[in-house]
Amino acid sequence: MTSRPLPSRSLLLSAAGLVVAIAGLVYLRDPAWLLRTESGFGPWEVDQNGTRFRWMGGHASFFVRSDAPGVTIPLRTTFNEGDRPIVVSISIDDRSVDRVVLTDGDWRHSSVRMPPRGTRRACRIDIRADRTRTGNRAVQVGEIQIR
Amino acid sequence: MTGIFSRSVVAAAAVLCLAGYVFVYATGRADQPIRSDGFSYYVYLPAWFIFHDTTLAAVAKDCCGGEFPDFTAIIRWPGTRHWVNAHPIGVAIMQAPLFLIGHGLTRWSNLSADGFTLYYQHAAGLSGLFWTIAGLWSLRRLLVRHFTDTVTSVTLMVILFGTNLYHYATFDSSYSHAYSFFLCAAFLNLHDRWIRSPSRRLAVLLGLVSGLIVLTRHTNVLLPVLVLLLATRWNETLRRSDDLLTIAVVAAAVVAPQAALYYRATGRILVSPYGALGFNLGSPAILGVLFSVKKGLFFWSPILLVAVAGLAMRSSGAPAFTRPAALFLILNTYLIASWWDWQFGASYGHRGFVDSLPIFAVGLASFYEWSARRRARLPIVACATSILVGLSVFQMFQYWNRVLPMSDTTWEQYRSVFLRL
Repeated sequence: MTSRPLPSRSLLLSAAGLVVAIAGLVYLRDPAWLLRTESGFGPWEVDQNGTRFRWMGGHASFFVRSDAPGVTIPLRTTFNEGDRPIVVSISIDDRSVDRVVLTDGDWRHSSVRMPPRGTRRACRIDIRADRTRTGNRAVQVGEIQIR
Repeated sequence: MTGIFSRSVVAAAAVLCLAGYVFVYATGRADQPIRSDGFSYYVYLPAWFIFHDTTLAAVAKDCCGGEFPDFTAIIRWPGTRHWVNAHPIGVAIMQAPLFLIGHGLTRWSNLSADGFTLYYQHAAGLSGLFWTIAGLWSLRRLLVRHFTDTVTSVTLMVILFGTNLYHYATFDSSYSHAYSFFLCAAFLNLHDRWIRSPSRRLAVLLGLVSGLIVLTRHTNVLLPVLVLLLATRWNETLRRSDDLLTIAVVAAAVVAPQAALYYRATGRILVSPYGALGFNLGSPAILGVLFSVKKGLFFWSPILLVAVAGLAMRSSGAPAFTRPAALFLILNTYLIASWWDWQFGASYGHRGFVDSLPIFAVGLASFYEWSARRRARLPIVACATSILVGLSVFQMFQYWNRVLPMSDTTWEQYRSVFLRL
């Protein structure tokens, strides 16, 4: 009777590494913490009327639950003499859904409907501005309402 | 098996650097890794791989509404209006492998693939850490050829913790210094091997590393030039002229893309985007750079005085490059001291010298080897080394906790917070 040789230690380690890598990738495809992930926003501030807002530069992004029906994003910017309007584009998972032109210092609200729920628990919303003011400040983003 | 202790030291250094990296970001001591100078070293990667644009205009539009902020030192060149980055492409090239992994993960997790979201940030941050460990590994390979395993091990730990290297491997790892530290260590290691047994393969590797040294920090070109030309007698240098030509051709090929970028943006192949700011070669702040409380090299990393003593001793086993490398240290000190902002802005210790720590390491190893020859010296040297390393680590924590100012430290400030966290 012949005994089968045991797999070498390096082979076992490679197999274990592969399993860990695949498990990691499966987990990272749709992790729950994405809903708390955002980029491109400054710290929270409060204006004279008590409205909370954050400055963003040229590009900011955040995540919302994919089963949410819609999202309202308050947008505003500042104007000094000679400043040109700022065009703000909103996209959900890289599909353009709204465009807002800020021509004065009032709040504008971009209300967008979420697409049908896909296979992930979170949708990514990107806000892009076509220009910035001094200090890489483009747009003030108020508290986002998820309907 | 030779060098097993020093190998374990490099492995331990990797674990400790990773622990420090997690600590500074998990506790909020540092902002996201791609910041300050780290932004402009890195910005080429999203420009090339995401926006497929070498002019930087597309990434400027996406990140910053079309105009890079002032802190980036990326300016519109007068006349052409094209973007010119004060920081060259070397760091980005060395960050590229982890960047591409981060890009893949970003797509996979549906994060915004703009070059600045979570995975990109830590790909850039961990790249600096990786290259620091690679630098320690190269340095170990060099030192064990000339010194005992124990001396090599002690030297590696002292260079990591007795200077600001650990800080630039963790807290400010997206800056160029960790990369230059690796390149300098790799160059000296390869040169040492090439001196012993020249080969075309080593010449090509020396050319590659020399080119990357220039691409990472232009003024460091002095290191390969001085070492390659002055480490051996002239007749020996001439005998190696074929290899030297190979090194020069490979290095020129590596540097060529940077020259092409400069040429397209400005019409010149060598530019200084700093404008009127630059070197004041007539009035270098030598004392300030070496001894001041602001950023003095030996004030903040006093263990390096021991390294200088070791370089001056030039032990019989010291590598052939020791003398020209020491000359590089002198010229580099003069250049750093002549820079308009000789403090190099915010930093822990003087960051301009992190690049040349592998040369100081040779001096440290020489000194420790000398110390080990007589038992009576050892307790004093061990005690002094422990105190100086401990002080360096403690002051680094003070800097991380914002107890120490980021620049322009005064003696009164230093004294008032001495040994206080």
